[in-house]
Amino acid sequence: MLVVVIFSSVCSVLMMLAAGIALATGQSFEVVLWRVEGMGPLSLRLDMLSAIFLFTAGLIYLPASVFARNLAHQRLHGRYPARNYGMLHFALMISVVLILVANDALSFLISWECMSILCFLLVNYEQSHGTDTRAGYIMLAMGEAGFLMVVLAFLMAGRSAPDWSFASLAAVSGNLSGKAAWGIFLLGFFGFGVKAGLVPVNFWLPRTYTATPPIFVPVLAGVTLNLGFYGILRLNAELVPPHNVAMGLVALIVGSITALFGILYATTDNDMKTMLAHSSIENAGIIVAAIGASLVFRASGNPVPAAIALTAALYHMANHSVYKTLLFQGAGEIEATTGTREMDRLGGLAHLLPALSVIFLVGCLSISAIPPFNGFVSEWLTLQSLLRSAILFSPAVKILFALCGAGLALTAALAVTCFVKVYAMSFLGIRRGPWHPHPRQHAGRVQFASAYLAIACLLLGVLPTYIIPVLSRAAEPLVGASASDSLVPPFFAATPSNQKLPPAFLEDFHNLGAQSGRTFVPGRGLVLLVRGLEKNPVVFAASPSYSLIALTIFLAITWIAVTRSTRRRKLSRKELWAGGIPHLLPEMTYTATGFSNPVRVVFQAIFRPNIVEDTRETVAVHFRTAIRRRRDETHLVDRVFFHPLGDAISWIARLLAGMHHGRLNTYVAYTVAFLLIILLLFRLT
Amino acid sequence: MPDTPLSVPSPQQVGLDDLVVAVRERFGPNVSPSRADGGITLSIMLRDASLLPALSKFLFWEAACSWGGLIVEEHAAHWRLSYIFLAAGTGWIEILLEVPSGTRSVPSISAEVHAGDWHEREAEDLFGLQFEGHPRLGDFILHDQVWPEGAAPHRKLHRKLVDPHELHFRRRPNPEWRPLLVVQDPGSFAMPVGPVYEGGIGESLHFLLETVGEDVLRAAPRLFYKFRAVEKIAEGQTVSETLLLAERFAATSSFAHSMGFCTAIEKLCGLEVPKRAKHLRVVLAELERLRHHAGTIADICQSTALAVAASQAAIIEEELLRSSCRFTEHRYLFGLNAPGGLQRDFDDASVGHLRLSVGQAAQKLHVLEDRLYFTSSFLDRLEEAGVVDSEKARDLNLLGPVGRASGQCHDLRRECPYNGYDSYDFEVPRESEGDGYARLRVLFQEAYQSQRLISQAAEHLEPGPVRATAQAGLSAGVALGWVEAPIGAALHWVRLDEAGQVERYRAITPSFNNWLGFHVAVEDFAFQDFPIILATFGLSATECDR
Amino acid sequence: MSFWFWHGLRNGVRTTRYPRVRESAVGVSPGRPATTEFASAEEAAAAAANCPTGAIVAVGKNATVLLRHCIHCQRCRFGFPHPLAWQADYEWTAVANREAFGPLPSAYRRSTHIMVVDAGDCGACLRELKQLNNPFYNMHRLGFFLTATPRAADVLLVVGPVSENMRGPLIKTYEAMPTPKRVIAVGTCAITGGVFGHTFMSAGGVASVLPVDLEIPGEPPPPLAILHGLLVATGRKPPVPKEATIETGTRA
Repeated sequence: MLVVVIFSSVCSVLMMLAAGIALATGQSFEVVLWRVEGMGPLSLRLDMLSAIFLFTAGLIYLPASVFARNLAHQRLHGRYPARNYGMLHFALMISVVLILVANDALSFLISWECMSILCFLLVNYEQSHGTDTRAGYIMLAMGEAGFLMVVLAFLMAGRSAPDWSFASLAAVSGNLSGKAAWGIFLLGFFGFGVKAGLVPVNFWLPRTYTATPPIFVPVLAGVTLNLGFYGILRLNAELVPPHNVAMGLVALIVGSITALFGILYATTDNDMKTMLAHSSIENAGIIVAAIGASLVFRASGNPVPAAIALTAALYHMANHSVYKTLLFQGAGEIEATTGTREMDRLGGLAHLLPALSVIFLVGCLSISAIPPFNGFVSEWLTLQSLLRSAILFSPAVKILFALCGAGLALTAALAVTCFVKVYAMSFLGIRRGPWHPHPRQHAGRVQFASAYLAIACLLLGVLPTYIIPVLSRAAEPLVGASASDSLVPPFFAATPSNQKLPPAFLEDFHNLGAQSGRTFVPGRGLVLLVRGLEKNPVVFAASPSYSLIALTIFLAITWIAVTRSTRRRKLSRKELWAGGIPHLLPEMTYTATGFSNPVRVVFQAIFRPNIVEDTRETVAVHFRTAIRRRRDETHLVDRVFFHPLGDAISWIARLLAGMHHGRLNTYVAYTVAFLLIILLLFRLT
Repeated sequence: MPDTPLSVPSPQQVGLDDLVVAVRERFGPNVSPSRADGGITLSIMLRDASLLPALSKFLFWEAACSWGGLIVEEHAAHWRLSYIFLAAGTGWIEILLEVPSGTRSVPSISAEVHAGDWHEREAEDLFGLQFEGHPRLGDFILHDQVWPEGAAPHRKLHRKLVDPHELHFRRRPNPEWRPLLVVQDPGSFAMPVGPVYEGGIGESLHFLLETVGEDVLRAAPRLFYKFRAVEKIAEGQTVSETLLLAERFAATSSFAHSMGFCTAIEKLCGLEVPKRAKHLRVVLAELERLRHHAGTIADICQSTALAVAASQAAIIEEELLRSSCRFTEHRYLFGLNAPGGLQRDFDDASVGHLRLSVGQAAQKLHVLEDRLYFTSSFLDRLEEAGVVDSEKARDLNLLGPVGRASGQCHDLRRECPYNGYDSYDFEVPRESEGDGYARLRVLFQEAYQSQRLISQAAEHLEPGPVRATAQAGLSAGVALGWVEAPIGAALHWVRLDEAGQVERYRAITPSFNNWLGFHVAVEDFAFQDFPIILATFGLSATECDR
Repeated sequence: MSFWFWHGLRNGVRTTRYPRVRESAVGVSPGRPATTEFASAEEAAAAAANCPTGAIVAVGKNATVLLRHCIHCQRCRFGFPHPLAWQADYEWTAVANREAFGPLPSAYRRSTHIMVVDAGDCGACLRELKQLNNPFYNMHRLGFFLTATPRAADVLLVVGPVSENMRGPLIKTYEAMPTPKRVIAVGTCAITGGVFGHTFMSAGGVASVLPVDLEIPGEPPPPLAILHGLLVATGRKPPVPKEATIETGTRA
């Protein structure tokens, strides 16, 4: 296992290197594998978009491999062969790379299928020990359904193309009829949406993430989720770009709804992995909403806002990978130490796992979009790009943008609630449930993997002005404009002779003293700007870098002032005050269910809980011995799509099963009838 | 559960003879009803303990008696258990059960007469007597987390403990103790409130509010943090010393309780209280009731945070306290009752002055009441808060204003007149909703009736002695004294020995009965209503704990 | 909707001007028995024997009163042939341990936070404490506030003889308070146990559980006496000279 880890770490570093070079120099690399008769060349190409995703995948694979190795000792040792796991892990990495650099439909689809199968094998790796293998099968089935939709989309796109390479597909996309374009869009969007986790095709996601062994979940959440976005961007934004606004609106609306449902279920769930899975759905929704906004802007002829929106989407994709992997690793560590994932039973872990509590806090802050961490920048950019809808013409579209923006804002607020609950109920307070901590060896190395990601969270949040030009370089081919000049204008590099910025604008800011620090700050400065046009001259600015500096300075000043002024005070630590009771028992502290109950009550119409049990046992009217309540909820998407779909398919199957009754005579009759029909058809055509 | 229909009852005027006949018919030769004295009208001697639940059920449900209390006495060779019921208009009925000392357990009546639940729990904690069939014994007065099992401190073999080195009962804090939680939901938890009540000035009570996050499903009070073993201290004291105890264990109803105790002694010794003393006792008892209700109204306004109304009610209470002090030289009416009458006399000028100030207080209460009923935000918080419906009130035998607000119109001044109350003209208010608003209305109405009674008593005051002079000496025996205290009906049961010292003193207080109703009122409520429900019940922990 | 603001204003100002001016309204205090000179030593001895808690001590022809044992039963005054003189007073606060007492530092003079613990009291002392913030006494104007948590409290007011079940919570409350803190035992029960004495269920006064700084006797002490005690705790008024104690402290 160690060998595999070293190997995959080296490979992930190489991935990052390759992607980095591509992004830095702006060049793409192409290689043709071989030419197939009638299909065209099978080639690989590393362009800007692939480079972004490749870099992110490499960024995640490094800590994920280290983490897997350490947890593998506890999970796999003696029960399953670790070597096989390592091979599958490595094979998955290869297939992911191939997907990202595939330059024609055939290699893309082949690698996609390989990736699906390998995911299934890895998800069901611990199949004899209580894992819910059904979840893996559901993932496979849904993945195949999505795959079929994608294949259909590619077929429709390439009907009139000479071969299957992406270049040819892009070339003929202009000739597609409206209906075909719609068909491709919907099939591709929802087909890739299966992997990305969009409503209504995401009902496999919570089940599978919960059932997946903790060694694999970080990769599943941090790498394979992004493949869905890659597919959407590649097919629906680049190869067959939308010509009308409605397609982008579909994406925007689906994304917003996904985000809202995801966070609602995350807030009210008490199993840590399921909660994080729902949170992944929420973030996927945000990303897709930003992609949708960018498609709308592009289709209505506003390339710069489209670039901003797409940059925001890519930024959020990268951020999400980093902090979600971090959180899943933390959850895995918690499960390894305590043996339970129920947040109602956890508590007091800050004493048990002090280093993890700090790192997990970083993850929670990032996902709640709190500056100076990375979630803040990408959420801010997403909401800002939705606000730019003021430049669109149609009032209906503007209203939809406003509604979706409101939905995303609500999502952000609920996300804070959700992760406050997660952190507080798991790490703070006193230990609640009956579990005993397992001693953890190799704890040091796990900290490396998580610390690496935590530092990445901080860096991604504090240095947005370095990252945005890189991302906008990837977004440029898709939208036709660059966002970096408008988001991070070359402030310090601009002079009156260099007309990149209007001189009046520059002068205003220089008068405010914005030139200070010019000598040691990069040419673009450290401030993000979102500016309106002349009609609407608003400026929104954010600078996480300066905020971090200011925050540190103020905290330091406060700390110095407080310690100076209270130096003469005596501090005595006494027992917790709880009203005079002998000691505070765990039963008397808030549970996770209690914390999120208001959300459950407010959104009851969506949750529609079924009351499974609500009994009041009494011995006499004044003597209750027990009040038992249990509530069960079926997920909304399950209720609306999965179960009816399943019922419909079962119904059809039952109908068709009526054919298999075993009577030979009827089978012969079937054959004769079929023959007659064929003959008739030949006769008529 | 009983099989009689539970409509809002008016106590049937069961004739005594009919009752005797019915009991004899039903229960055969093992019961022998007979007339008694010392306050008790009918004493039913029970020879077969297994008939106890059935007989209690008959008395409580079919004969529509109300529940008084359980008095447990330890004698040399047997236990004497006395179950007291009240047949309105007829008098007190006692089921007397004597079981030998070695008896393990006595059948519990808790399943038939739910109001007797806590009485049996107290007997088990303090005497070690087991009650078979009781759903939950233990951890009542002697908290399980501190006291060892089987302490039974009221047994005769345990002395009161004066010497601190003679600790018979070692306190052993038990770190493994867990509260008994009723709600079994995976995410439920129990918020602790108290015993050092974090709301400013409050009595020491402990609640565990069991909730799943929004509504509180159950709030179980845990009382007896203030238990001072008054009944045990009284054993071996002289009557005048026990009178001090009776006055001071629940000082906001001190006149009522001391009057109840004195009434018992007077019955025992055959003392005839002079007329002037009776009228003055009425004046003082109603003065105490009026002041107590003004204080409860102030607490209710305080709990809903209606600050101006709370201040105005507090003004009324303080003025009544000052009037009491002016009249009797003590704000809380201590030191007035004595066996045979009152300890001192009052001149007519002070009586007139008191009557005037009480009239002014009632006038201010009227004004306050009108204003409160026009404040819809205030009424919103009281309506539907802590509802106790009339069936449950009957079932649990709720007393006093709390019971009257739920349709249970028990008032000892009417049902079993004492101290000449049958010659006065007054009404007993009654509401039927059983929520906080109903309890508030009852409090106001009772306050006005008290003022009416004070006027009548002051008018009928004639010169004369205030204390019965002829005393044959204190005689041995038992007697029951009863009084309608501001919170409800209180019973004082005394046994004197040959030397005239108190052998057993039992004070059955209305708060002890009414706290049971609190369980019922606080199921499934919003947390913010909790202090309001507590205030509208107006119960006293010290009166319950003794 | 009633116009409460207007109704409140119409009530006018009722607040006493104590401590600047001595409050002399009738009924603010039950008063206290005072040292009396009798005609003969027998009368004084009879007066002393009459007191149920032994609060009266006869020295020759004089009968002095130990207020910390007096339960205000009025038996020395009514129904007794040789009544004691009575003094209308309410400034009774005495220091429990003269050597160790010092008022709270000057920072707390006009801003004191009070924590009240009910350790088994009869209800009268608690009710008098509740009157402290009614419009007549209004302790807020003197800078006294109630807190709900001992963490923010400077003064601990204990009422009641400390019942056994409240011993633990009381000690926890005391230990949860930060220094500087003062403990005031309010009421005769809290000082000497009153009629409850020292039994298996009652500790006979706060002094056997906590270190007490000030004692306010009376059963119950009127609100003005409690106010005086708080003023003594903050150093704004001097305490009454400490009186002698009886060894047993329980009634005869």
